[in-house]
Amino acid sequence: MMADMNLWEQLLYYFSENGLYIWSQFFRHFLISIYGVLFAAIVGIPLGFWISRHGKLADWVIGAANVIQTIPSLAMLSILMLGLGLGVNTVISTVFLYSLLPIIKNTYAGVQSVDKNILDSGKGMGMTRWQLTYMVELPLALSIIMAGIRNAMVVGIGVTAIGTFIGAGGLGDIITRGVNVTDGGAIILAGAIPTAFMAVISDLLLGWIEKKLDPTKNKKILS
Amino acid sequence: MKKVQRIAALFLAAILLSSCSLPGLGSGFNEEGITITGGSTTEQQIVGYIVEGMVEHYIDIDAQIVNNLGSSSLNHQALIGGDANVAAIKYTGTSLTGELGQDPITDPEVALDLVVEGFAAEFDQKWFPTYGFANTYAFMVTQELADQYDLVTISDLEDIASELDAGVDSSWIQRAGDGYDAFLDTYGFDFNRVYPMQIGLVYNALQAGEMDVVLGYSTDGRIKSYDLVVLEDDKQLFPPYDASPVATFEVLEAYPELNEVLTKLKNTISDEKMQELNYISDNNLIEPKVVADDFLKENNYFESIEVNEEGGEQ
Repeated sequence: MMADMNLWEQLLYYFSENGLYIWSQFFRHFLISIYGVLFAAIVGIPLGFWISRHGKLADWVIGAANVIQTIPSLAMLSILMLGLGLGVNTVISTVFLYSLLPIIKNTYAGVQSVDKNILDSGKGMGMTRWQLTYMVELPLALSIIMAGIRNAMVVGIGVTAIGTFIGAGGLGDIITRGVNVTDGGAIILAGAIPTAFMAVISDLLLGWIEKKLDPTKNKKILS
Repeated sequence: MKKVQRIAALFLAAILLSSCSLPGLGSGFNEEGITITGGSTTEQQIVGYIVEGMVEHYIDIDAQIVNNLGSSSLNHQALIGGDANVAAIKYTGTSLTGELGQDPITDPEVALDLVVEGFAAEFDQKWFPTYGFANTYAFMVTQELADQYDLVTISDLEDIASELDAGVDSSWIQRAGDGYDAFLDTYGFDFNRVYPMQIGLVYNALQAGEMDVVLGYSTDGRIKSYDLVVLEDDKQLFPPYDASPVATFEVLEAYPELNEVLTKLKNTISDEKMQELNYISDNNLIEPKVVADDFLKENNYFESIEVNEEGGEQ
């Protein structure tokens, strides 16, 4: 029966027969990526602020994050698996580690880019260190930080696809199955297309948020 | 000093991550729950989801399934290391020579006894009764040829073998123990010509009439779709690859009901049924999970099968 259908017909058929399953794996894939990036943001953003206050440390920290980034994702998964075992949490940790560099680097760059005169006037108004960070630096750097998170998210979605090899589930499961069955072209596409779709949509969405957060483009503040 | 703090922070975060479970992703992999390893082939995944479905139906727990573990040894390591506690499917022949490191045995009952004892003694794991199917090497012919010469067993081929072309798995030709040489010794006849080919291609070659008899895997879905006839291995050349679930004694102690659940599956899936399930998944593009759920619903989760305390059927 399937032999009579072309690849696209097979793909449509696959979507209609297994829609719920694909959706559950899509959601799982998305959650794994989001959690990894979220934790990286919780660690990375404060770290970025901290190293921008201690200029000498910045090179070290960013250097270390750079080293993490150079490890191939499959190797990283395997290394972490030795310590953390199989499953979802190991993949989340991997996404976390890969997300650190873009988030730390962008936070650092964002804080550095804040005009020193603005900080001085803030100080002149009697703002405390915390107020300067929270009310001046953070809003001004936010759009650049967001660009880092956006970058991390796209990388994270890709890394999660490999997580299938340590039993985390996600759309990688569907892709791997397509590779294993005899005539699995349609199944591979059924896993790969939603993965790409997820990456593009999150990129667009975060890009939109990034633009919204850019104070120089926000008319309300300027006027 | 600061760097040490940073590394410590990273480490802490990682440990924190590994120990907690996050909303939406089910419980993490831990000693308390039931974690089932499936596999990478369609058959292994279908059986994995059948076990998962059974466990969730009878035991009030959200069972986890781990698929796509690259090899049977990785699968084994997952159970030994405590990352998982139920292996949905293991084959006697594979585990006997693999995990237990023994010589292949062709008698299915002896092989089964050996793995049951071996897994209990060496790994503290219980090898359950077979599902009822075996994924082994098997000679097969078209329905037409079988009808014409009344073929049931491999020995039936003897009289006509000199006119038949055979397509076989290329690695089988060189295999010691159950390979081509052993075949000649055991059955005492040869085919007209033997063509080594990739195992995935033999079914099509047979159906297209390019081969008269081929050696393939006995539960492949294409046997059903092409209406092929599997010949019985009457002289027991091929070691048995009967499929069974395996669970650690630890998890059986934590969930005593699990013993009954896995025993219920004894002899519930025949070779033909497994061929059919593989066929539905491979040929009709239905995901293994969907195939497994349908199978369980169709059989009402085998609720009618009673299991006594020793784990046998009543």
